[in-house]
Amino acid sequence: MNRPFLIYGLSGLCLGGLILLALSLGVAGFGWGDHHTLLILRAPRVVAALAAGLALGVGGGAQQGLFRNPLADPGLTGVFGGALAGIAVLLTFQSEIAWRQTSVLPLAAFGGALLASVALVILGNNKSPGRLLLTGLGINAFTAAIVIVLATLSPTSRELLTNGAYGDWLGLAAFRFTWLPCTLCVIASLCLFRFGTAWDYLSFGPEVAQTLGINLLRTQRWSILLTALAAAAATCLVGQIAFIGLLAPHLARTLIGPRHRLMLPLAGILGATLLLAADTAGRTLWTSTPLSAAGVMALIGAPLFIWIARQHHV
Amino acid sequence: MSNPLVQLTAVSLEIKGRRILDGVSLTAHAGEIVSLLGPNGAGKSTLLKTIAGLLPQATGTLHVHEHDPRTTSPATLAAQRVYAPQNPQSTWDYRLSDLPILLHPRIASIDWFAHFQLAGLMSKKFSELSGGEQKAAHLAFSLSSLGDPYQKIILWDEPTNGLDLSRQHLVRTTLTQLAQAGACVLVATHDLTLAYATTQTAVLEEGRLIAYGRPQATLTPEIIQSTWGIDLSLLASK
Repeated sequence: MNRPFLIYGLSGLCLGGLILLALSLGVAGFGWGDHHTLLILRAPRVVAALAAGLALGVGGGAQQGLFRNPLADPGLTGVFGGALAGIAVLLTFQSEIAWRQTSVLPLAAFGGALLASVALVILGNNKSPGRLLLTGLGINAFTAAIVIVLATLSPTSRELLTNGAYGDWLGLAAFRFTWLPCTLCVIASLCLFRFGTAWDYLSFGPEVAQTLGINLLRTQRWSILLTALAAAAATCLVGQIAFIGLLAPHLARTLIGPRHRLMLPLAGILGATLLLAADTAGRTLWTSTPLSAAGVMALIGAPLFIWIARQHHV
Repeated sequence: MSNPLVQLTAVSLEIKGRRILDGVSLTAHAGEIVSLLGPNGAGKSTLLKTIAGLLPQATGTLHVHEHDPRTTSPATLAAQRVYAPQNPQSTWDYRLSDLPILLHPRIASIDWFAHFQLAGLMSKKFSELSGGEQKAAHLAFSLSSLGDPYQKIILWDEPTNGLDLSRQHLVRTTLTQLAQAGACVLVATHDLTLAYATTQTAVLEEGRLIAYGRPQATLTPEIIQSTWGIDLSLLASK
């Protein structure tokens, strides 16, 4: 039996089953519920979790491929932080436009994510793997500080921003707002698949990659632009969420090997599965006090992160 | 004689105020194997990288396959030359069987992995191989990306470094075969056995080319004394 085929089949089945489960589980218990519950409450939330999870898994794998660092993850390197800070700036200074124009929020998030990515490349790249992560840590702390300061300044958006920082926005999902970020998640992920071979060659060092015909500057620019877009779109849907971008590609590599063309789509499927599972568990296990998807993810993800870090001797 | 595949005239390179290459002029044709020798830091690896097009800040005149590698696109250059660094690495733990797939749709006429005695290890991951086996795998990967060696340029940095005697011998015979098939080979090395198997030897010292010619004519006791500070007559008397 063809192993990649089997793994894709099984993970697809898992995800399909999980989608059905997520659609049929709610505060009222098990069941499809009425038309309103299914289509207005649950479906947008499930679609948002799937799209964001896809973008997180693929974006994480892309960032790891570009930086040649198994511990790179947009949540840890400050790119999500940048996206949230961009949203915070918009909500604080131009909140009326943000609610009238649905396209403005993703744009602000994209601006913030791109700024954070460029800072990461300029300050932390091409040295040691540790330096990249330390720089990301600094950017993360700085963007978090921006969000805290802005949330303090604007009482109207304080609750929204705090929920975003906790990764608790999936509950707000409504197709009216989420169709654009969802579409952007899918587009960014599909575009990122194209760079698989370039990141494979980069594994052997930038010099070998270049002599094999890769235009390094163009690859770097497009990878950063597209990972920032994926991170920004996912942030608009979920808020801040770490570890999926780290775990999904790592699991995919363990299951199917490190070749990016084969691994990245699986990382996307696994990212969607992880986020939907975390969100569904968070909202149904304790219905009186629902947990955010990011909270559930961090509970499982943080110990796994330490395990991966130990494996790679970073 | 045919046009040279590699032609350098007064090539210099400065990095952070330090002169790494100093007016190097060198010509190499298809069918030739040039060994670059010299002490650590003499500029051998830098010269290979300059020819490979990896150091666009180099000055002087460079013709590689009638292109200037500093301004030619990576894709065009990739069809003409291969480069293998001194210490190859891989961030991700590929299986050897992945490597030919990564090069798709390039087609090598020879199974270079089998040629380098790796046929039985194809299902292994890099992390499961010894250092010498990894090095051999990178050399095989490099040649697999080349396609037909005719009129191609092969730039290898210390190819025998870390290999056992059998694979060292294999590298020497392989280079000869490639040259006979019409390739132009340049290798940086400290391996004198390899140098004697080449058609030309270039000796570099502090970025300058101080001797160039047949290895027997170039590696004289005087050059070895002045470049490496080793007195061969003393060694012989012991």
